[in-house]
Amino acid sequence: MKKRPTVGEILQAKGVSRRGFLKYCATTASILALPPSMIPRIAEAIENTRRPSVIWLSFQECTGCTESLTRSASPTVEGLIFDAISLDYHHTLQAAAGDQAEAARHAAMEENEGGYLVLVDGSIPLGNPGFSTIAGMSNVEMLKETVAGAAAVVAIGSCAAFGGIPGADPNPTGAVSVMDLVTDKPVINVPGCPPIPMVMTAVLTHFLTFGTIPDLDKHGRPMTFFGTTIHDRCYRRPFYEQGKFAETFDDEGAKAGWCLYKLGCKGPTTYNACATTKWNSGTSFPIEAGHPCLGCSEPNFWDGGGFYEPLSTGRFDSGTKLAGAAAAGVALGVAAAAAGRSKQAKFTKEG
Amino acid sequence: MTTVDGRHELDREAERLAYKPPEVRHDKQGDMPSEERINQAMHHFVKNFNTQTASYLDGCLHCGMCADACHFHVRTDDPRYTPIWKIELFKRTYKRQVGPFAFFYRLLGLKRHVSIEDLEEWQHLLYDSCTVCGRCSLVCPMGIDIAGLVSMARHGMFKAGLIPHELHEVAKTASETGSPLGITGDKFAERADWMGDEHDVEIPMNKEQADVLAVMSSIEINKYPESMAATAKILNAAGESWTFRTDGFEATNFGMLSGNPDWQKASTMKIIDAAVKIGAKTVVLPECGHAYMALRWMGANMYGKPLPFKVLHISEYMADALNTGKIKVKKVDKSVTYHDPCQVSRRGGATQAARDVIKHLGVDFREMEYGGDYNWCCGGGGGVVTIKRADPLRHRVFKLKMDQVEKTEADQLLSSCANCRQSFDDSQQHFNWDYTMGSLMEMVAENLEEVQS
Amino acid sequence: MDLLAFAKGPALQVAAYIFVAGSIWRIVGIVLLKEKVDHSEPRKSGGLMAALKVIYTRSFTASPFKRATLYPKMLAYVQHLGLFAVIFLFVPHIMFFEGFLGFSWPGLPNNIIYLLGVAAVAASIALLVRRLTSPVLKLISNFDDYFSWFVTVLPLVTGLMIPVRMGFRYEDILAVHILSVVLLMLWFPFGKLGHAFLVFVTRGTTGMVFERRGAKT
Repeated sequence: MKKRPTVGEILQAKGVSRRGFLKYCATTASILALPPSMIPRIAEAIENTRRPSVIWLSFQECTGCTESLTRSASPTVEGLIFDAISLDYHHTLQAAAGDQAEAARHAAMEENEGGYLVLVDGSIPLGNPGFSTIAGMSNVEMLKETVAGAAAVVAIGSCAAFGGIPGADPNPTGAVSVMDLVTDKPVINVPGCPPIPMVMTAVLTHFLTFGTIPDLDKHGRPMTFFGTTIHDRCYRRPFYEQGKFAETFDDEGAKAGWCLYKLGCKGPTTYNACATTKWNSGTSFPIEAGHPCLGCSEPNFWDGGGFYEPLSTGRFDSGTKLAGAAAAGVALGVAAAAAGRSKQAKFTKEG
Repeated sequence: MTTVDGRHELDREAERLAYKPPEVRHDKQGDMPSEERINQAMHHFVKNFNTQTASYLDGCLHCGMCADACHFHVRTDDPRYTPIWKIELFKRTYKRQVGPFAFFYRLLGLKRHVSIEDLEEWQHLLYDSCTVCGRCSLVCPMGIDIAGLVSMARHGMFKAGLIPHELHEVAKTASETGSPLGITGDKFAERADWMGDEHDVEIPMNKEQADVLAVMSSIEINKYPESMAATAKILNAAGESWTFRTDGFEATNFGMLSGNPDWQKASTMKIIDAAVKIGAKTVVLPECGHAYMALRWMGANMYGKPLPFKVLHISEYMADALNTGKIKVKKVDKSVTYHDPCQVSRRGGATQAARDVIKHLGVDFREMEYGGDYNWCCGGGGGVVTIKRADPLRHRVFKLKMDQVEKTEADQLLSSCANCRQSFDDSQQHFNWDYTMGSLMEMVAENLEEVQS
Repeated sequence: MDLLAFAKGPALQVAAYIFVAGSIWRIVGIVLLKEKVDHSEPRKSGGLMAALKVIYTRSFTASPFKRATLYPKMLAYVQHLGLFAVIFLFVPHIMFFEGFLGFSWPGLPNNIIYLLGVAAVAASIALLVRRLTSPVLKLISNFDDYFSWFVTVLPLVTGLMIPVRMGFRYEDILAVHILSVVLLMLWFPFGKLGHAFLVFVTRGTTGMVFERRGAKT
């Protein structure tokens, strides 16, 4: 078995300067909320670590997550770090197909037993194994087989992390998340539809640097990226406090860049790094483009209410059933008054 | 229904309407067992719960502001004198028996059943320390008429045989003889005759037909008989076809004050029957506060239909007669302040009448601070003045009234209620106070002028 | 289903049913008791205008009582106006109402709402202290008074915690806030909070009875 080159060697071969490399390490340290003293450690870890083997499993997904990671206007350092891992299996990106591809997966698993990472995008159908198969193998079987020797599992995107669109009501395929199936290995959720590329690579970098998984929130998401809400970091927040809201997408408020709360922004309940890390090489994020946050990195994303329904709207039926309650109230009131009156009549008779 | 052993002598010479201080108090009437008393109280509380009282009893916020309006609380700082607390048993019975959620209150035992000890304690709160003056009703942010509820709660207390000794005696005498002081029709006619002679005024008695029926209160007949002459002078001067009747002369209504609706109705019906018999168009009520409430506002409801005649308090009659020029008065060179009887002014709505009369008298009128509708009560209304054991409390409360009067520095203090007057007289004696309560009607009668027609 | 979805969905739903049914139950139970007919000759016309007049005038204290009741009245005003503003003029709340009413109205800036909310809480605390120390209030208060205070103040406090957060996650504290409102709605029709609608009945009744007498209302 040929000795894998270290990450540092590969980056050098790719023509990444030392300066550029350290800059990447500094950025990563900063978004991981690590002190500057950790930068050399990150650099050392990345330079000296052998390319870790990564197996990417794609189940019920749309390839949007992969697109997000690969489609950059220009090669980025985080793109390069992807080159630095040994992506041994990825439907969309690998050249091999059929038995060859499956053989590559098995080879990677055997060679790196106990040390490889499994990245999953897409949810897993439990309703009927035939809903989604790869090389004649159901998704759930393939997941279980692949995860058995892994060091950790990273669920990429909201489908893998929480079930996503396939898992939305009425969930025809019985889709579940990785978390629902993998309970004996660490699972890191990197949700989003799609997730932010930088967040993904930073999670990998953290794993390379420390060999551990980062602090996670109650939904299994790294606290460093999913610790604060979009709302708390939103540049439009002052308008929220002042009570200045866009009422429609083309009114004066919308043009003036006022808060999008009334247009259904889910920023207050959405934990993600969009407002700080931004998208498209740090260009912007949806709210800057004038659209409310959809809350794509949250569980129950699809079933949590309309995208354009304000957060504070109660989700209850206010029509006929409420009229029924009113009618019940009238009936009870009539009964109570009748009971009172009959008691009075009885007492009057008794004197 | 109830009997009391050991009746007490009428004390006709006393400063006020009362029996001699009972040697042995009988504040429990009859010999019902406690269970029966509780039942009676509950039954007769329950009878009063209509839409109006129910909303009142359901609406209380327990804000306690009524305490700040009540003279008994203001002067003693005793929290039990908080007006809404006085009807606590009434309220509790409502919630347990008739309120919309009565079922739950009973099921879950949320409101304790009223006990005999409760009822005995509340006798003091519902009778000794409430004059039904209604000041609390004006402060309540929910607009609850607490005074009205006290009157209703008394119904249950009466039927339970748990009312103060003297009040029961007075009310019983009234029901038996037609007058709380036992004054019969003959005695009334005798007195009228005497007053007519003494004051040289014609007092018509028992006319078969008359436009106006005048009635008197026993307090006046007994203690201020000049009132009869004054009434006659005024009605004669106005040229009214009027009369007194021996079959309907008593204006006071101790059935109402003590809490017996049957006796209340009997007293009221005597006046109504007499007025109907002579075809009266107007009944003129004497200077008596609760008489006004009993006939003007409750009379028709006792009768069960609108009354076939108008009901006027003497102050209203005088104001009307003076305003229309039926009578005229000489100017009086005095400074005067006026004490409003609660049931006539605050609760009766005739506040302006007395002021119109005073204006015609041309006196230097000095309104008390917060006079009129917000006036402090004399402390003797609602039957309190009859209850001997309540004297110390009543005197304590009277201080408020004294301060209010003294601030005006008026020469003369007037009112238009004999019950207020006797309560003032009694307190005056107790405190050796300078002010003597006078009668507005008597001042008018003394200063009548001939009207050229 | 997470806590927020539970709070916004089934919990609020059930609370709305009980709120509506309970409130109507109470009003109907009172209104359908026997009616008191008054045969006395009115001095003035009472009627609806009299009821409306007193519903309005009793919002203010008559001058003889101003001094004695100044402190609790001021606190009650702050509490009630604060509650009104917080409930009906906070933009997210307006959107909540718009969700089922179908129309909206202008709100106040959040900072002003926070201020009024804090003032309402402070006034409520002062009123509670008064209730716990005044001999009159100690005597006449019961479970209803204290529990109603609690369920009224709880949504105020949890609501104010949303911007402050205090280490809680937004959706958790929002869920707790909504659940505290659910508690309020469940208790509302049955306890003294019912004065919010009974006030129109009691003041209106007194207005009609006393205005037709021409007496002070």
